[in-house]
Amino acid sequence: MIEMKNLTKTFKDKISVHQLSLVIHPGAVTGFLGPNGAGKSTTMKMILGLMKPSEGSVTIDGHPYKDLERPISKIGALINGNAINPKLTAKQHLEIIAAASGISEKQIESMLMETGLQNVKHKPIGTFSLGMKQRLGIATALLGDPETVILDEPFNGLDIDGIHWLRELTKKLAQDGKAVLVSSHLMSEMQMIADRMIILAQGKLIADMTIDELAQNSLGSFVKVRSEDNNQLQFLLTEKGAEVKRVKNKELHVYQLDMEQIGLTAKEGRLALYELTKVQPSLEELFVELTEGKVDYISTDNLVTEGGETP
Amino acid sequence: MRNIMEAEFKKIFFLRFSKVYLLFTIGISLLIGFIFTVTTNVTQGVAITDLSVMEVVSANMLGVDLASILLIIFTALTISREFTAETIYTSLAAVPNRKRLFLGKYITFLLLSIVVSILMVALIYLTSQIILMANNMSLASLAEADIRQFVFGVLLMPVFYCLLSVAATILFKSSGGGITFPIVILAIPALLNMFPDTIQKVLLPLLPQSAIHSLSGTVGAESFETSGVFISISILLLWLVITSVIAILSFQKRDF
Repeated sequence: MIEMKNLTKTFKDKISVHQLSLVIHPGAVTGFLGPNGAGKSTTMKMILGLMKPSEGSVTIDGHPYKDLERPISKIGALINGNAINPKLTAKQHLEIIAAASGISEKQIESMLMETGLQNVKHKPIGTFSLGMKQRLGIATALLGDPETVILDEPFNGLDIDGIHWLRELTKKLAQDGKAVLVSSHLMSEMQMIADRMIILAQGKLIADMTIDELAQNSLGSFVKVRSEDNNQLQFLLTEKGAEVKRVKNKELHVYQLDMEQIGLTAKEGRLALYELTKVQPSLEELFVELTEGKVDYISTDNLVTEGGETP
Repeated sequence: MRNIMEAEFKKIFFLRFSKVYLLFTIGISLLIGFIFTVTTNVTQGVAITDLSVMEVVSANMLGVDLASILLIIFTALTISREFTAETIYTSLAAVPNRKRLFLGKYITFLLLSIVVSILMVALIYLTSQIILMANNMSLASLAEADIRQFVFGVLLMPVFYCLLSVAATILFKSSGGGITFPIVILAIPALLNMFPDTIQKVLLPLLPQSAIHSLSGTVGAESFETSGVFISISILLLWLVITSVIAILSFQKRDF
């Protein structure tokens, strides 16, 4: 189990990670989200001891990574898919890591097979596509059969088959009881694979919950209602404390009241309901909602002045 | 430690570049040594047959100086590649104890440089014998103390500068630093010759090149470079220990 306590990383003029306290649980895929510069990679590097925390601590089963007896069997990580010597072959790359960690040849062959690189194992990595490099990076991460797998942007460069494979792989790893921490900008993929989401913005923890919990807490989550008398229903729902918006005079968007309460309120007012639909925001919408105003980099198209005009 | 060294050897010898470069180092150093020896009438104005056996061997062993410089470049390029290609991430993930990783690299290059140095000196010694034989001169004999001392001293040079390059490359995290630092240290005695005797007297005995010259017996008794065997060995060890400790401390503190 990875545990972070008040983890902080400060560079000269910037706080990259600020007082982050988290636990990465086994048996689940944890999505790690945040805008560029949110501190995701810095946090992952601190877990692996590649960066030293300015404050706080991060431990794996109670020990810092550098003090682990056989670290590669505790955590396997893909930090940068391109961080491979292009002159080596895929097999040679794995052989070097295996030699340093005392891992058998059999395990190398097994990982090459698992990641679909068996047929290209003797080819120089320099001839690989980004997707193949990602597969090799994942093979490296899994080489020590680790209890925790950390994958930083693993979907980058993968083709459709690769994405499908990685989706299944992360789910299988979690089912096998491993803790899987995945960072990605592909919200749709994260929505499909992650059991839990950790969202960072400007180095601070914004959310740590399941997607359902995120949706429930979201301002973007509402119930769409159509009834025989929308005016009357709006009045009744507002009295019950709901926030109601009228859309095109045909439907109501009801916030802060669940479907059951809306149904009961309509029943009390003897109003027939034509539609009662829970509308959940997508992960992307939730992400935008949670990180609004907390990004370090933004495209000029998204910059809006007070007067509503782009500068 | 054995696992780390095995991985380090694989990092070196899986690459075609390493094998070609090391063979080139041995070949070109032999050639340069040979050219120095057979052209003494041009370079020194003395015919080879007028030289002593020791002088012939000594001229031929100049190839080892070149081998040392080429080995410095090889070491710096090999180690710095881990930083430039960022493969240091995977190295540190497998061996997060940075002191152990440093020592693993250090011992690997120590063994590699010992093998290269012995091979080089043996081949050059053999070439010297052939040159001596071809010129109807008496052969060099390791039974003679001065030749034995010279050969032993020369053996130390590639090993010492290779290790200095390991520490410098990790300290400066670049091939530039890994090459420049040992070459500057190698070149300082030549620069010091331009300074007054008082400065030379203080600084020259502290330099590794002086210690190597003393151990190989190539300095005169009145030279500022001269020091005893124990002091010379201590100076070389001190240089290696100090540079290694600084490199380890810097490596341990650094963020990647």
